[in-house]
Amino acid sequence: MTVNVFAVPVFFICFRECLECSIVVSVLLAWLKQTIGPERDPVVYKKLVRQIWWGIGLGFGCCIIIGGGMIGAFYGLSKNAFSGAENLWEGAFSLLATVIITIVGAALLRVSKLQDKWRVKLSKSLEKDDGSTKRSCFGSFKLWGQKYSMFLLPFVTVLREGLEAVVFIGGVGLSLPATAFPLAVVCGLAAGVAVGYLIYRGGNSARLQIFLIFSTCVLYLVAAGLFSKAVWNFEINAWNHAVGGDASETGSGPGSYNIHNSVWHVNCCNPQLNGGGGWGVFNAILGWQNSATYGSVISYNLYWVFIMAGFGSMRYFEKNGHWPLMKAKAKAAIVEDEPIESGESSRTGSDLMESSLEMTESKQPRGSTRVRELTA
Amino acid sequence: MALSLSSFLNPIAILLSIWLVPTVVADTVTFDWDIGWTRANPDGLAERPVIGINGQWPLPLLNITKGDRVIVNMNNKLGNESTSMHFHGMFQNGTSDMDGPVGVTQCDVPPGSSFRLNFTYPDGLRGQLVVHDPENPYLGQYDAEIPLTLSDWYHDEMPGLIAGFISYKNPTGAEPVPKSALMNDTQNLTVAVEPGKTYYVRLSNIGAFAGQYFWIEGHTMRVIEVDGVYTDPAETDMIYITASQRYGFLVTMKADSSANFAMVGSMDTDLFDKVPATLNTNVTGWLVYDDGAPKVAAALLEEFRPFDDMTLRPQDGMEILGDADLTVTLDLSMNNLGDGANYAFFNDITYTRPVVPTLYSALTTGVNANDVAVYGEYTNSYVLQKDEIVDIVLNNADKGKHPFHLHGHNFQAIYRGPDNEGSYNATNETAFPVTPMRRDVLMVRPLGNFVIRFKADNPGVWFFHCHIDWHLITGLAATFIEAPLELQKTLTIPEDHLEACRVFGVPVAGNAAGNTVDVLNLEGQNRAVAPLPAGFTARGIVALVFSCISAFLGMAVIAWYGAAPVSTAELACAKRFVAKHGG
Repeated sequence: MTVNVFAVPVFFICFRECLECSIVVSVLLAWLKQTIGPERDPVVYKKLVRQIWWGIGLGFGCCIIIGGGMIGAFYGLSKNAFSGAENLWEGAFSLLATVIITIVGAALLRVSKLQDKWRVKLSKSLEKDDGSTKRSCFGSFKLWGQKYSMFLLPFVTVLREGLEAVVFIGGVGLSLPATAFPLAVVCGLAAGVAVGYLIYRGGNSARLQIFLIFSTCVLYLVAAGLFSKAVWNFEINAWNHAVGGDASETGSGPGSYNIHNSVWHVNCCNPQLNGGGGWGVFNAILGWQNSATYGSVISYNLYWVFIMAGFGSMRYFEKNGHWPLMKAKAKAAIVEDEPIESGESSRTGSDLMESSLEMTESKQPRGSTRVRELTA
Repeated sequence: MALSLSSFLNPIAILLSIWLVPTVVADTVTFDWDIGWTRANPDGLAERPVIGINGQWPLPLLNITKGDRVIVNMNNKLGNESTSMHFHGMFQNGTSDMDGPVGVTQCDVPPGSSFRLNFTYPDGLRGQLVVHDPENPYLGQYDAEIPLTLSDWYHDEMPGLIAGFISYKNPTGAEPVPKSALMNDTQNLTVAVEPGKTYYVRLSNIGAFAGQYFWIEGHTMRVIEVDGVYTDPAETDMIYITASQRYGFLVTMKADSSANFAMVGSMDTDLFDKVPATLNTNVTGWLVYDDGAPKVAAALLEEFRPFDDMTLRPQDGMEILGDADLTVTLDLSMNNLGDGANYAFFNDITYTRPVVPTLYSALTTGVNANDVAVYGEYTNSYVLQKDEIVDIVLNNADKGKHPFHLHGHNFQAIYRGPDNEGSYNATNETAFPVTPMRRDVLMVRPLGNFVIRFKADNPGVWFFHCHIDWHLITGLAATFIEAPLELQKTLTIPEDHLEACRVFGVPVAGNAAGNTVDVLNLEGQNRAVAPLPAGFTARGIVALVFSCISAFLGMAVIAWYGAAPVSTAELACAKRFVAKHGG
């Protein structure tokens, strides 16, 4: 009798979770290399790269600890910490991840256009500040977020994906022998890392602009899927409570979903069931569900509408110096600010725009912004 | 609200009396019943409204003698519910219109009106009708009778339970779990007995759902009758009695005893969705030899080993009927329909009450009454010719046990397959019993099958259905229209029956759609809920396409933004910045 040494569901779970992480991390790394670059500014580059690896490492460590705790509690105390709140946790994490990826994605694109300036900015941000400027609590938090964004994004991503993997493996693993795990886990992780590496290499050899556009598109696809999944998770959680138990126990068939909310449902291709297989990967990248609700479909489309509006506005702002629907304040007045020391808002491109385009005194001065009129 | 379920008063009776000898009428027994709400708390756990007769609950035990003519004048004083009534074991030969099931042989009896017969039993309107037979072959072998009923009991009223049961929030079709078990509509019953005497115990399960295991500690039971059919005596320690079944057995008391003995009814929890830890599934009574002696609680048993009723042989020795002229195969399944709720199906059709009660269709469609089409597509109807021998092969694709009841007949139970046998396969079977057991309620085993045989010698419209109330209301039923053309010659519907229909606006003539002109045109018939969509519906495809378009558009915008060059002003400013702060 052959020993089962390769659990296919476990492989797919590890692969798709690792894939999402790899995409994010490899894009960040490749971007860092191209934009900041070890040749141009090794100090900043090294610091940021280290932040990324710290994020990965800590995220991985945390999810091992938390996941191990959950599994231990499940087997030891028979307390199933997963069910009941599982969908809520997933939904919340997905939402958080969406927000972070949305912001960072736009930042990557924006920044790549003015690499020199950003290198300087980043290096300044990484220096210790002298505490001379006052800033609000929120301002400090924002500042901290800026400084450590390279840490935060990988950390949250790895933590979220890792916990998902633990929960899913815990779910399918009950019926599998222990011998089937190690090889499947290692292969899944290796496959995910391999894809990430390919992206990284591709990123380094291709033209930066093309690579960035392509990878940002992928990132946003993932983020759109995440947003849809978050909404879907909240709806499934409500359905589980209405039905009184885990609806997914009924598999993919009737009863596993709320007929009144359903936009489409097929009794196959379920990314949640038994590791999900290929459909799980489909779900990870694009947010595919075999049972879609009004919420998940509408949220997916609304997200894209929001993205399109956001980028359109950003372009408009760059060209015209003011946001759409707002009046141009003054002509030919350029504001230069010292963004970092002043605790300036560093929302993606907005500070860059403010610093490069016209701005008038009527706009609220921030911190110690200096306004200088430039005669045309 | 019309909640008529074919429910019953249980006669442990000799049906032959009313069937074979309709002209011998000894007495006319008239019951004048006001059906109304009253309150009761039989298990001591919760008082609740119940449906009583003449303000009384538990219902009075009815005793009549074989050959009597029974008239029930029923006044529906419920105020909020309509009702109807069915008597088990009454073949209603020549009186199919008195059989009771709503939509099959009559309409609901609306509140505030009078009717003869019909209603909804788990809310309390169920009881025992005992028909005494002066020609009982076992007469003289017993000294007295003990009437006994077993039942499950709910604390909530049926309308609420039904709404929760047939709902998209209950997609697995979990039946409501009873709150307790009752014996003679109470608990801790005491029955005084004298040593050395033999008693004829008439046991009926008048519950809605749960089958029960029944035994008497320290005593053996000698089964002599099931569902009103006398059998050769069979000794057993334990009986399994499903909802609506009846068992008659003799128990001989110990010659000398100063102890009291428990008799226990224990609900079969196999079909219960969740068994709460606080649920007491047993009900205990005592055979009291000595009032002063203690009533010891029943001992717990390791396992249940009930008697198999298929091993019984009828006392009259009636041999198996000849080969079947017609074999009706019914495949039982349970599934969800488009409203998300769980329904029960025979051959993928869930019974839906027709516009016109089936009996009235049979009487008013002339020669077409022989065409099964006039009875609708959702009534699982079969037309039987007079005196045909009919086999019903029932295949159970569900994991539950189902007790099936046939109105109008006792059938011969010629085969029952074990658990998991799957569909009945005629080629695999060995010979059928020479004198098969006869009764009118037979249980099919989980994922098993059974075959029953009867002769269609009772013109009328007869319902065949699972006697678990929950399954009945979700459509586990079929209709047999027996010799409709004979029926047209012999049966007239009394005016008060027709009046009850008119009150609700129910037509009393025509096919299942109420069409009197073209009876083969079923447009307008009552349909079951539509099935769930099989895959992508139009709206699903639109949603998916739209989402893909959004994603592509979004990526195009991103690409456009990413590729767009920086404006000169911006570039200049950036250069200044770098120069200022050092690169």
